[in-house]
Amino acid sequence: MDANHVISLNIVTPDGQVYSQDVKRIIARATDGDLGILPNHFPIIATLKIAEVRTLRADDVNREDAIAVNGGYIEFKDNVANIVANSAELAANIDLRRARYAKQRAEAHIKQAVAKNDPDYRRRAEVALARAVNRIHVYNDR
Amino acid sequence: MAESLMDIKRRIASTKKTGQITHAMQMVSGSKLTRIEKKSQAYQVYKDKIKETVAHLVASKMLSEYDSASATSNDPMSLKELLKERPVQKTAYIVITSDRGLVGSYNSTILKAMMDLIERNHHGDTQAFSIIAVGGTGADFFKKRGFNIAYEYRGVEDVPSFATVQGLVKTCVELFDAGAFDKLYVCYNHHVNSLTSTFKIDKLFPISKDIANEADLKNTDSQRGYIVDPSVEVVLQKLIPQYIESIIFGSIMDAKTAEHAASMTAMRTATDNADDLISSLTLQFNRARQAQITTEITEIIGGAAALE
Repeated sequence: MDANHVISLNIVTPDGQVYSQDVKRIIARATDGDLGILPNHFPIIATLKIAEVRTLRADDVNREDAIAVNGGYIEFKDNVANIVANSAELAANIDLRRARYAKQRAEAHIKQAVAKNDPDYRRRAEVALARAVNRIHVYNDR
Repeated sequence: MAESLMDIKRRIASTKKTGQITHAMQMVSGSKLTRIEKKSQAYQVYKDKIKETVAHLVASKMLSEYDSASATSNDPMSLKELLKERPVQKTAYIVITSDRGLVGSYNSTILKAMMDLIERNHHGDTQAFSIIAVGGTGADFFKKRGFNIAYEYRGVEDVPSFATVQGLVKTCVELFDAGAFDKLYVCYNHHVNSLTSTFKIDKLFPISKDIANEADLKNTDSQRGYIVDPSVEVVLQKLIPQYIESIIFGSIMDAKTAEHAASMTAMRTATDNADDLISSLTLQFNRARQAQITTEITEIIGGAAALE
């Protein structure tokens, strides 16, 4: 019975598998709002925002993992969840200094883009900023 | 004794130098291989997961539903076209080869398999297919045979970056939209280990039912469908480009890994052959030298005997 009450979650990125755990709960931020998945949820596919994914570990109920996920999507079916994203980082692996630096750089880029009036450039910089902010947030929130 | 001592000596020296070069090339390929192998394996995991999701979607009949849905307002990658099965008039093959030689049988394996495949599927009708060549060797080979080359790409880096592939992906999608072909396959050498690689074909367009069969789904009840958030359209617009990119990039990574492995093996064989050659030449050299000394001694003794 217990086996039916865990979700095996994999987070994969082009750099390989970032996270692979049995979890009791997944909270992710989908494009339309927060999404909580418990075991035996109906199959779902949702696109994700650049945001944090929180999981409740099956092997240690008091332990919550936080992962910074850069977009992508989540697919859940038969208690197997896959998050496929362009990049993802465990809170413990986040390099805060680098994230802060990335944030500053992205902000500078946005300023430049506004000055040059280049919407494409600005959008890219905004995505970069969202990533950096997300990483910092996940790090502080762990 | 056919060759003089000097000749043998010169041959030993030149073989030694060649051996050094091939050994260095083996080391270079080896280090490139270790660099790319890890990345490539990690990428295969990612590629498989995306493929799995797309297979699930196909199995849940979502794609066909989407296909028959009303016209979309915003469809930059023309997803509909990618999902539709058109009557096949023309097939295209992305053939991934290397840019340079010295990679053993790497290129000839692919090209031979391609020729067989083309012969089998099209019976020499060059109008029925076109080639998208990645890598110079393949491009030259098919051009020489007068095949239709829709696009060629040279200069893939040793460890390919995603940015280089994006252009290729875009071109493929545009060509497909324009109706340049109705079916697209990716053909490349799949890296098994550093000694073996096998020829592999992946179907790319149109994205259809057979990928569900390919990914042998564990349970057939996946037909009951999914909740899709926020909408099928948005999810597919994100998923399908990622899927196409991952297949093409994954194949190029895989092929490049196989190329480095093939190059390493070929160079190792060359180095071994050079060593063999040197040892047999050295033996020949020593024999010749001994023979020369013997002759000299005989001559001296003969001369001394004549004086007495």
